[in-house]
Amino acid sequence: MNRPPAVAIDFGTPDSPNSSSFEFEEVGYPDPYHQHQHQYDPESYGGRANEETLPLHYMSEEKARRRVRAGAAAGNGSDFDGGAAVSGNEKEQFEYQEYDDAGKDVYNKPKPYNGQRISSGRGPSHPLPPPTTITEFLLQNTEVIVPVVYTLLSCWTRFHRIGASNTVVWDEAHFGKFGSHYLKREFYFDVHPPLGKMLVGLAGLLSGYDGSFEFKSGEVYPDTVPYVAMRVMLATFGVLMVPLAWFTSVELGMSQWACHLTTLMVLLDVGWLCISRFILLDSMLLFFTFLTVFCLTRFHNEQFEPFSIDWWVWLFFTGISIGCVTSVKMIGLFVTALVGVYTVEDLWDKFGDTRLTVRQQFNHWAARVVCLIVVPVLVFMASFKIHFLILNHSGPGDSQMSSLFQANLEGNDFYKNPLDVAFGSRVTLKNMGWGGGLLHSHVQSYPVGSNQQQVTCYHYKDNNNEWNILPAWNDKQHDPEGPLRYLKDGDIIRLSHVPTGRNLHSHTVTAPVSKLNYEVSGYGNLTVGDNHDYWQVEIVDDTKRGSVGQVHSLTTRMRFKHVALGCYLRAANAVLPQWGFKQIEVSCDKENNRKDAHTYWNVESHWNDRLPAGDMKLYKSPFLRDFWHLNVAMMTSNNALIPDPDKEDILASKPFDWPFLHLGLRMCGWGDNQIKYYLMGTPVVWWGSTISLGVALLTFAVYILRWQRKYNDMDAREWDHFLYVGKIAFFGWAFHYVPFLIMGRVTYLHHYLPTLYFAVLMFGHVLDHFIFSSRRFSTRTKAIVFGVLVSILVATFWWFSGVAFGIDGPVNEHWGLKWRETWNIYN
Amino acid sequence: MSSKGKLRQRNPQPEASTSNYEYDQVQEDEHHADIYTSPKSRSGIEKFFEGSQGSIIVVSALTALAFALRFYKISHPDQVVFDEVHFGKFAAYYITHQYYFDVHPPLAKMLFGLAGWFVGFDGSFLFENIGDSYITNNVPYVGMRALPAVLGSLTVPVVYAIMKESGFSTVIAAFSASLILFDNAHVAQSRLILLDAALIFFMSLTIYSYVKFRKYRYMEFTLEWWTWLLMTGFWMACTWASKVNGILTVFCVGVAVLFDLWDILDVRKEGHTMDYFYSHFLARAGGLILWPFIVYLSFFWIHFRVLTQSGPGDTFMSPAFQETLAGNELLMSSHDIYYYDILTFRHKDTKVFLHSHPDRYPLQYEDGRVSSQGQQVTGYGHNDTNNHWRIIPTKSLPETGRGRIVRNNDVVQLLHMPTNTLLLTHDVASPLMPTNQEFTTWARDDYTRHNDTLFKIQLAWDAPENEPFKSKSGYFKLIHVPTKVAMWTHPKTLPDWAFKQQEINGNKNPSERSAIWYVEDIIADQYNDEPADRDEDQRPVKVPKSMNFFKKYIELQLLMFQHNAGLTASHPYASGPLNWPFMISGISFWTDNDTQKQIYLVGNIIGWWTCVVGLSVFVGIIAADLLARRRAMDPIPDSVRNRLWNNTGFFLIVWGVHYAPFFLMNRQLFVHHYLPSHLASALIAGSVLNFILSDTINYPISYATSKTRLRPSQYADTGFKGLATVLGYGLVLFMMFIYIAPLTYGTPGLTGEQVNSKRLLSTWTLHFAAKKTHDS
Repeated sequence: MNRPPAVAIDFGTPDSPNSSSFEFEEVGYPDPYHQHQHQYDPESYGGRANEETLPLHYMSEEKARRRVRAGAAAGNGSDFDGGAAVSGNEKEQFEYQEYDDAGKDVYNKPKPYNGQRISSGRGPSHPLPPPTTITEFLLQNTEVIVPVVYTLLSCWTRFHRIGASNTVVWDEAHFGKFGSHYLKREFYFDVHPPLGKMLVGLAGLLSGYDGSFEFKSGEVYPDTVPYVAMRVMLATFGVLMVPLAWFTSVELGMSQWACHLTTLMVLLDVGWLCISRFILLDSMLLFFTFLTVFCLTRFHNEQFEPFSIDWWVWLFFTGISIGCVTSVKMIGLFVTALVGVYTVEDLWDKFGDTRLTVRQQFNHWAARVVCLIVVPVLVFMASFKIHFLILNHSGPGDSQMSSLFQANLEGNDFYKNPLDVAFGSRVTLKNMGWGGGLLHSHVQSYPVGSNQQQVTCYHYKDNNNEWNILPAWNDKQHDPEGPLRYLKDGDIIRLSHVPTGRNLHSHTVTAPVSKLNYEVSGYGNLTVGDNHDYWQVEIVDDTKRGSVGQVHSLTTRMRFKHVALGCYLRAANAVLPQWGFKQIEVSCDKENNRKDAHTYWNVESHWNDRLPAGDMKLYKSPFLRDFWHLNVAMMTSNNALIPDPDKEDILASKPFDWPFLHLGLRMCGWGDNQIKYYLMGTPVVWWGSTISLGVALLTFAVYILRWQRKYNDMDAREWDHFLYVGKIAFFGWAFHYVPFLIMGRVTYLHHYLPTLYFAVLMFGHVLDHFIFSSRRFSTRTKAIVFGVLVSILVATFWWFSGVAFGIDGPVNEHWGLKWRETWNIYN
Repeated sequence: MSSKGKLRQRNPQPEASTSNYEYDQVQEDEHHADIYTSPKSRSGIEKFFEGSQGSIIVVSALTALAFALRFYKISHPDQVVFDEVHFGKFAAYYITHQYYFDVHPPLAKMLFGLAGWFVGFDGSFLFENIGDSYITNNVPYVGMRALPAVLGSLTVPVVYAIMKESGFSTVIAAFSASLILFDNAHVAQSRLILLDAALIFFMSLTIYSYVKFRKYRYMEFTLEWWTWLLMTGFWMACTWASKVNGILTVFCVGVAVLFDLWDILDVRKEGHTMDYFYSHFLARAGGLILWPFIVYLSFFWIHFRVLTQSGPGDTFMSPAFQETLAGNELLMSSHDIYYYDILTFRHKDTKVFLHSHPDRYPLQYEDGRVSSQGQQVTGYGHNDTNNHWRIIPTKSLPETGRGRIVRNNDVVQLLHMPTNTLLLTHDVASPLMPTNQEFTTWARDDYTRHNDTLFKIQLAWDAPENEPFKSKSGYFKLIHVPTKVAMWTHPKTLPDWAFKQQEINGNKNPSERSAIWYVEDIIADQYNDEPADRDEDQRPVKVPKSMNFFKKYIELQLLMFQHNAGLTASHPYASGPLNWPFMISGISFWTDNDTQKQIYLVGNIIGWWTCVVGLSVFVGIIAADLLARRRAMDPIPDSVRNRLWNNTGFFLIVWGVHYAPFFLMNRQLFVHHYLPSHLASALIAGSVLNFILSDTINYPISYATSKTRLRPSQYADTGFKGLATVLGYGLVLFMMFIYIAPLTYGTPGLTGEQVNSKRLLSTWTLHFAAKKTHDS
């Protein structure tokens, strides 16, 4: 059954004189196979089968799927069992016009190849005879049928009972809401890039959702929300993970057995299944992660023929895929790192290849820079561009953006603010640094330093952001009826916090986070104060009018210099601890750094009854500026998501909990009448894949130690392949895992889901290496092992499928799910 | 091997010429056409310097200068400076035998203790605050400071020796040594009672020993080979035992040994058997793992032997550990606590009693916030009946017996005896801290607030579930059941309305380390009698118990790790690792306002930047060599490349291993953590200077044996330009040193303008800078 086809490799070498049919050369097989081969097909080998065994391209049986086309030169019916699987896949690349069947024994003698390729260098194969039986048909088309079957199975698992829970489950509360914002076109702010949420919005649009639902956690969906359709559309991404896993394993050159196992693990993991069935970003993140790996492996297999069309296509698609995955969640940067390391190693190899000319070297570099750096960046920026284009109405995320950007949103009336700022005006002040917020104060006081009232920067609009511009204590006091006095460059003012009456104050106490700066606090009240409340206005410029001497709302960039200390009011994304509610620290910078945008402020909202509305025509805020601003704001908020020691977050987990599935995660309420979902993996997949990582490292260590002692366990080609797959899996895993150990932010179980893929690939690779590709075991043994593994997989999946399909009724009635003490699956 | 006859042999060995040994550790493809110079063809001056006499003169001069610079005005300032607060105090504890706890291993501190004992320090002065006078307290501090100054001075000749042993010429070795010699940061750090001088000295000795060991690699298992192997292990252990950062030295020797073993394993080089490999492996395991560990442990053993008395470190340790300390009174008189006992509670850090009195919180505080107007609960420093609380169970109890003992995690109520009210906390902001909860009391017979009066006794150090709650030794946190806050207090006192007593509030961070309390005394049992002698098993033991050394060691080591990781509070002079090599920021050690004197730890900026340039050039050379070889080009002669990769590469590992881990640490980091790496970078800078000056080196330098294949030898020839460069550079370095010296020695005082002129980088935050009246 598993007899290999005659395998040939394209070196692009010219025809050798004794090459009868085409210029591909056969690959020699070790003896058992060799003998075997000859029994079947002596003619096609002619007399030269033994003449030379190729030094470079020797492969063990099914590894030959990589880089080579199936010879299947002897296409007589008896030879289809093993080889057809491959040739079926090659059919689409077949060069039909080359084929001439006029009266020849076409099945044995394809026409000589003319040197032109249309595809990946898998040279032309000739069509197979029409199938006569169903078995034959199946065998001829295995390469198509297998993934189709897996996709259908995947559809069933992903769509089965998808609408069972009619409530907002888990983070649907966030992502559903963000989707609604796209439908309502209201600007919102979130730490994740927009592509995934735009797709949620698109799913809503396609299913006829109007964006009116609030997506409160645990709430029942009203009739107006087509949540099932939305979930189905997003689950489609989850469905596609399975065929991608299949094709990736094929491209990685795994044996058929290992390909099936890898695919089954992806199909049957309840973690991936569960997370794909809701309105979440994870299914898209996973899909694009899988896609990136697939594109990379596909590209790798084109490497022997650089700059061919296929080579370009797959390099380009890799770039697109990187762009998409990072535009869904920043976690996509980890798979980008994998591609980056692969590319660096590849280029290093090329650099050592002295046969390449300088021009070729340069082309290789340029191609990577364009496709793997420029293209992803463009995709990433494009997703933000579309984001800004769609969200053109004022919404809850306004205050994260610069004042100019906000003023351009529909429904925002900043531009109607009075133009000229005067003493007595009530204003909010916006920091103009990347990601800056509004100058804010609240009744809570600093627990350190002066213990006076806190002054912070805050991104949400409330009246704690409002300040009155008043003259200095020793100046003529502000008279609400007196003549208007406009705010000019060099004026000395006092900023009085409207809700608490305290004055913006600084003194020689060190700031709580930026220890080299002075603390800024709220001090005194409407009548009490001192000369440490004085701030001098220094106008930097006016984005609309150039340099002017008078402060205008929105457009004037100005700095506030503390008169007594000579320091400048600054807010630079330093986050206060919990006592400051994780808001941004405001301090007074002793260094006078004129270029520092974090000391620039502008008047955002402006109220003054005595002044006319401005009705300014505003400049558009430039896209690149908004793009950068939003990204800095996202980073700052993301970094502020550090675990709060005050509250024990029952959902959060540590990275060490993941590889052995130390705990699961309840995704919704756990009442008896609710349908309950528990995010956990299929234990055998998680445990097995984690163990395989250790086994792979150990195997590598043993091999390399033996290599140092001059034992040759594998020939160069096998060793390269063993390393290549191992490196993709191991570095992919490490890049997706180690950063979580280092980063301070709060982590959850679902952060391991992209990581798991690489562990699963490693599991397939290890099994392949030790069992399925091993020459030590007979096909029968392999089949038994395969059968046992598959049944364990299916059985555990079936046992645990409830956690993803939804558990009805009291959970304690479902016996035997708690395999580890720490799983809080029962009440 | 065909050219063997032509080779100039440095150490001609009669047997060597007959050896037909095929392989050598050195690469096969040697450049036979290399220039190898005759030692005689060098100039007279150079010949003089390369000779042993010249070398001795140079190293003596460097050492003398090092002593001079480190001992100059060592008695100034006569006040406690920076971390002398800690390390001086620890030295005092060794003299008084009081047990203390610190995150650093004991060796360097014991040496300080020894030095102090030697010069007659009685240990009574505890170095409490920066700026405390040594003169008025009669502390022989100069003797104690002399220890790091000696170690710091001796580092200079060790650096010289490392370079010399690595085969560089005398001038190059002097160059590296002068980078350390004239470095303000090394000098400032060595003149005070700080651990770093010892750390750096031992670390440089480790490098020296390892280089020596490698030079004997062809004479494996000889006496010299073993000596230097064990020396490496010994100094390594000393480094680690001096300061916790020393473990990085252990790592970097480990990395080098791995490379070495990998090489020995290579069958292509020597064709050694596995037995040969195993013997090498075992020798290193013994000499560089087991032996150093024994040395390291022995310092702890001495530590425990010396510190036999109860002291400030008791409370960090487990009760079992505390029992081993003489005079640990807390444990000697501790009793089990039974329900309905009347107790007094005391805060562990501030030693105030939990107190309440009939006065109430004012309705409104100064800042406008309102209170619950409940009865005040405060911290009071003195004994008083208002400190008496009765512990009330929330579960049913047996009539008598041990079932009535309060145990870990029991939920209880605390009844204030004089006012008959129950302790309570609720979601009302405390008087001083809006983020914390107010503590008050509630009438006993009013059950409306019953839930808010429930507290859980949580014994410290993860005590087992049924651990009995004891007086004195039973450290606990009082966790409020509904809101999970921990009863906490801080030294800030309340205003007059609370008689300036200390505020008690509920801290929302239950892991807060300062929220620990203990029961000072059991006043009476449930019948209001003096408690009878109820725990027979707890008869006071006057003799300290003994405890297995290893148990003690493991407990202490674990605590050290935990506390080290816990040092995350920010500090005004803490700086990120990226700033260090460029000397971006320094540390203010000490200031004196009257005379405008200050000590500011900052490196010799010329020296540091030279080191950075040296590092980058070296990395550049290595990268260029890699790239060139990748393109099948071979620009560097093999002997020079061997030196660059194997020797300077080792220095680079030393540098990287002592530097990179700081990027991953979350604790407070200071620029002085870079000093070990700086020393390594000085070595690299020397090697790079040699590479730039000349493409010759002393080669080979390893001791040959009969088995060693002879190689073409050559001699370093830096020429007159080398000498001139190093002399000129040394002069510039010295002038820069003198220029910054007032900040290093803390004298003389500087005027504002002088301070401004010394502020070479705008990021140096010097004190007493003249205010710019208006900026440009």
